[in-house]
Amino acid sequence: MGFDTVLMQTWRIREPVMWLCEQITGNRKTYGMNLIGGVRRDITSEQKPKILEVVDRIEKEWLAVIDAIGGDTPLMMRLKGVGVLKHSDAVNYCVTGPTARGSGVAIDSRVDHPYCAYDYLIPEKKVQEGCDNLARTLVRLEETIESIRLVRQGIKELPEGPIMAEIPEEIPPGREGVRVVEAPRGEAIHYVLTGENNRPYRWKVRAPTYMNLESVPVMIQGMELADVPIAIASYDPCFSCTERLEVVDRKSGKIRVYTNEELITLSRKKSGR
Amino acid sequence: MMFKSKLKEAIICFKAGRVTMPFPLGPELHPPGDGFRGKIEVDMEKCIGCGGCANVCPARLIELSDSETTRIIEYFLKRCTYCGRCAEVCPEDAITMTREYQLATNDNNDLYIRNELYMGTCGRCGRCFKPQSALDKMMVTGFRQKTEGK
Ligand code: SF4
Ligand code: SF4
Repeated sequence: MGFDTVLMQTWRIREPVMWLCEQITGNRKTYGMNLIGGVRRDITSEQKPKILEVVDRIEKEWLAVIDAIGGDTPLMMRLKGVGVLKHSDAVNYCVTGPTARGSGVAIDSRVDHPYCAYDYLIPEKKVQEGCDNLARTLVRLEETIESIRLVRQGIKELPEGPIMAEIPEEIPPGREGVRVVEAPRGEAIHYVLTGENNRPYRWKVRAPTYMNLESVPVMIQGMELADVPIAIASYDPCFSCTERLEVVDRKSGKIRVYTNEELITLSRKKSGR
Repeated sequence: MMFKSKLKEAIICFKAGRVTMPFPLGPELHPPGDGFRGKIEVDMEKCIGCGGCANVCPARLIELSDSETTRIIEYFLKRCTYCGRCAEVCPEDAITMTREYQLATNDNNDLYIRNELYMGTCGRCGRCFKPQSALDKMMVTGFRQKTEGK
């Protein structure tokens, strides 16, 4: 969008969260916290006030940012009425998460199919009717504030107790498990089929971008080219899992698609094993 | 309206000041939080070659291979996710998670550890095996070959 000031400031505001994650889990992003049976680390009593302090600071700074950008006319011009995904299209293309909620579809798997502690920590669905970039942005802005409320409530009501269940036996092969969770981009669905030797046999992931990506053609129909990147960015895509390699020979115009095996072989060769 | 908004944005920026850090970072200059899991370190004197770490590593980057009396354990750390499972299961506490996080390199060998262990050979099948008793273990310690991370 060419508006790096706000981007950089929001990243600065986010940074204390990353430091907190590092202290709670041991890493900034790849937390390695969940195992079958529970989590590996508990939140200590020293960490709790630190979390609340960070959350307070973020809330204050976040509200200041929202207040500041609200009247920014050029910013609003690039968001309002751009990248319209009509309510009916959102339903037809089965978009999820903030993309759906920005088009007035009130779905949130934390509320619709509560899992983990979401029976106790009940998020409020943030829905906007605008159907455009601005609506999707507003949904995210409001959800940040809502998440802060959930963190506060969670810290206050966190029960004592063991964090890991004992699983003395091997998990039998041939069992299946499916679960929908609400990721920041929408519904993430994982399917696992267990195999021999306590290992999974098949693991299928349907990340929310699969669904949201489908809606791009209707979202960008008839738009100015310069607005297209903003519209695509507004549903926060993560393309890496949709990448397929197609090689076009420029002389003959022949197209060749690499197979799964070829890609694995190439990556093994590249990574030296 | 817009001028006011720009002013507010400027105030946010000035209030924050400069937050980026000059480049040569590192665990000494900018220490990570407590409990941080960085690059793994293997104490080759302690390792008994049980292969437990290779079994749990979710990235499958620890490879075990036997040749007669030697067991070779290789760590291809460029694929490490820093989950710390290997350090958790190691019965001899041979693996520790250091606080080192500046691992960018253009030499693959910087992220490679090779550990060669002298092991007993099974008289029947000829494969390496872990000497069972503590006495056996003491016997083989002297035969250990140590190679630095090459
Ligand atoms: S830290 Fe995790 S990924 Fe890295 S070597 Fe150990 S078990 Fe494997
Ligand atoms: S490092 Fe530890 S877990 Fe891995 S083979 Fe050696 S003793 Fe076993």
